[in-house]
This record gives sequence, C-alpha cells and structure tokens, in this order.
Amino acid sequence: MRRIVPAGDRALLIVFGDTMTPETLADVLTFEAALRRVKPHGLIGTVPAYASLLCTYDPDVISGPALERQLRALAAPQRKRLPQAVHEVPVRYEGPDLARVAQHAGLSVADVVSTHAATEYLVYAIGFAPGFTYCGILPEVLATPRLPSPRTRVEPGSVGIAGRQTGMYAVASPGGWNIIGRTDTVLFDPRRRPPARFRPGDRLRFVPA
Amino acid sequence: MIEVLSGGTWTTIQDRGRPGWERLGVSPGGPADWFAAAAANALVGNDPDAALLECTLIGPTLRFRRGAMVALMGGETATSENGIAFPVAAGAELKIGRVQRGLRTYLAVRGGIAVPRVMGSRALCQLGQFGGGFGRPLQAGDQLPIGNAPTPPSPQGGGRFSQRLPLVGPWEVRVIAGPHRNAFAADDFARFLNTAFRVTPRADRMGMRLQASGLRLHPVEILTTPVTQGAVQVTPSGEAIVLLAEHQTTGGYPVIATVISADWPLLGQARPGDTIHFREASLAEAQRARGRLDSWLRK
Repeated sequence: MRRIVPAGDRALLIVFGDTMTPETLADVLTFEAALRRVKPHGLIGTVPAYASLLCTYDPDVISGPALERQLRALAAPQRKRLPQAVHEVPVRYEGPDLARVAQHAGLSVADVVSTHAATEYLVYAIGFAPGFTYCGILPEVLATPRLPSPRTRVEPGSVGIAGRQTGMYAVASPGGWNIIGRTDTVLFDPRRRPPARFRPGDRLRFVPA
Repeated sequence: MIEVLSGGTWTTIQDRGRPGWERLGVSPGGPADWFAAAAANALVGNDPDAALLECTLIGPTLRFRRGAMVALMGGETATSENGIAFPVAAGAELKIGRVQRGLRTYLAVRGGIAVPRVMGSRALCQLGQFGGGFGRPLQAGDQLPIGNAPTPPSPQGGGRFSQRLPLVGPWEVRVIAGPHRNAFAADDFARFLNTAFRVTPRADRMGMRLQASGLRLHPVEILTTPVTQGAVQVTPSGEAIVLLAEHQTTGGYPVIATVISADWPLLGQARPGDTIHFREASLAEAQRARGRLDSWLRK
C-alpha cells in the first residue's frame, strides 16, 4: 500500500513499505518508471531509495495537492521484473576493518571474503554522496554495526559493511562503514553519461581480485 | 578575468545548482541563501541562474583585470555597501572582508562567473569535488572568467535593493510537519515546536547540528530514505540536524519536520550560537511566503 506525505513545500515522499526486500524495491522502481513516462508538468526529479520514492516539484508550476492527485491516479502498474544481468565488481579484500568484521562474525578473514563474494546483491539506492552504491542483502553472519565514530575520510572505491547492507564509496567522503576492500571500478564520473556506474535494481557480485 | 588574491574562509561559485540529479547521490546545491543570491544577480542585471560567489564569514580579496559592475547582497560587511550595484575599475582590488551581520554574502558580477558547467551547473559540488570551476572552494591564484554581459542592459541599473529579511537571530523558521512524523511519539512534534534550539559549531553548507537542552526525542529507526533541503533529522541521541543546500541525498534518521523554502535563506545566515524556534506552517502559507519573496525580486 502506498502512502504519500509532503516533504516540505517542494517535494512529496511516496512510501511503499518499511523493509529492504526485492519486491518492495521493484514496486518503487516500477512506479518510478511509470511516473517518468507520464512526466507530470512541474515534476523536477524522482529519487528512489529502498522502499520510498521522493518526487521533487516546482510549486510555481504544479501545486503539491495537484501533483499528489496525479500520483494517486497513476494506476498501480504490474510489478516489473528487475534486470537479470549480474555485474561483476572486482575487489581487493584488504580493508582496515576486515579483521573487525571477522571477529564480530566469529569467522576467519578468508571465510568473510568467501561469504561476501558468494552472495548476489541488489542495488537498493544510489545516495548519500555522488555514486555511493547501497547494496543488500548482506548475509546475516556478516552484519556488523557501523564504526563507533566515523572516519573523516574514506577513499573512493572502498567497499564497506553496515548492518545488513554492503556498499561502495564512489567519492572520498567521511564515513562510518566497516571497510573490507577496495575496487578499481569507477563508480562515479560527472563527465560520463550516465555519471553513476550502477543504478537501483542492478544485480551485482563481488569478485576477489 | 578576476584574480583571486585571497580565497577567504569558504568562498564557492554557485548558481541555481543541479536539481534532478539527486537520484545519483548528487545534491542540488546552489546558494545557502537563495534569496540574497537572486537579489545580487538582479542588481547587476544578470539572469537568475548566473554564477556568483558565495562568501562565508571572511570573504575573498579579488583583483579585476577588466572593469566590471558588481553587487553584494546578504550578510553585511564593513567594506562595501549591500544592495546597490557599483563599478570596479580595471586593475582595482575588491576586498570583501568579514561578514559582520549574517554569515554569508553574495558577490554578483555583471555577466556572471563563466566557469564551465558540469552536470548542467557551474555550482561547486563539494562532496563530488567537481563544478565550481575548481572542484573546491576558491584559493589564492585562481582566475575567474567573467561571462558576456546580458542584453538588453540591466533594467535595474543604478537600482537599489533593501535588505528585507533578518540577518541576525533569534530566528523563527517555519516548518511543515513530517514526512516521518509517525516515527515519533504523539506529542514529540508539539514539544519540538516549543523548544529553543541552539546552532552548534558543527554547521556547514551540508547541514547544521542543533542542540536543545531538555528536549529528548527518541524516534524509532527508519530504513534509508531520500531527504530534502530543509529536512530536520533527529538522531538517536536526540540531536537535530537541519539539512542545507549541499545536503546528503539519502539518510537514515527520521525527519520530524521540513523547513519551508521561503525560510531557507534564514538558515543560510544563522551562525553558531544563534537560537532557532520552529513554527508550524501550512502548504498554502509556504506558497504565499515564497510568492512574497519572488515578488520582491521582480520589483
């Protein structure tokens, strides 16, 4: 069931659920694709993440209530299948928090690497900072809380773990995820089209390099 | 060309930013005080999207290789008068100095700062380290190209623009409830509105951390969700973070309220130590407030 709530005077947030599941993500992305086909006048952009979709608009062109009516009228489309192609991301598993994750899981470092690399992940969001790639669902055994205090700088290409999520930093930024490796895959380049390497709904697998 | 002799505390090139790219994690950016920036551009007859300088706390010192018409708007400095366009001669230096009332002042140059657009905008993307000419705030030695003057000539030539918004606190800032009001206890929003928040030193273009003594909100955790400018997030420790122009695009803290866009300029001028009160507004009130600012810009 969709819920639509104002996020200030220039955006509406559509909430599709409150859990990280492939089905809810597919609902979000299906709705977003249908909305982008309709392109309501005054809609500026859409931002999908996990179980919600933000719709930004220009209130000089369309009022919030008018856009909300259009969103409600958009027939709930048949849930699309997510793309089947699996992208491979080569990773050097040598991050500073690999030992911390292993200790938390009660596994050897080698088992952490093989477990992390044996799982196929879905991209649930590109967000926080340019190109940051949120993936799930991490096997429960590897789930590790964020660092007690975030690092002031995490290098681009860093692969990390936070709770049941794994993700990749595209640009240097502060960050509190447990860093377990590094990829040379360029995740974000503002001069490339599209600038981000991945998008929500992509499937990927990490390959030890 | 303008040569930067001293960059100041945190001087960035801004235009109206790059809305629409949030889906790739790119913040819309743009001026922290969009109203002052738009007024500065209007004073020199620029298009509202022309790139200008956002100067924070201590502004830059500049040498103009050729003569130009400029205007300052927003926070007030001791060196130049706000709200009036004035010429700078070829070879002359312009020292902006310290912003004494407010936090940010905007320097518009007729023709705009003509650095290349990246992803549709000349504004700096701080996290992505691109745009803004150099992918970083200005430093001594930077050369800023000036664009062609717009035609027809400025209708505002010689015009004045009076400062209409407050530049010093305490601030009253209007909010719309939510979007995650459900993550809070029933009376949390009322308590939030009755609280005086203090701006902490942890404040920049991305967001401002606010402290409130005596207020303890304990929201439930939420799944990572898209967030907007003006969103007031509440952390598990009960601190509030209000997001500004260069905000992260997603967040995991619930948002109790969102500041209306007509009051974003106030947040852009608030200094550490200032007091902020939030007051609830309707969508209709937000739209009227925005319309009033827009009508001032058209005069």
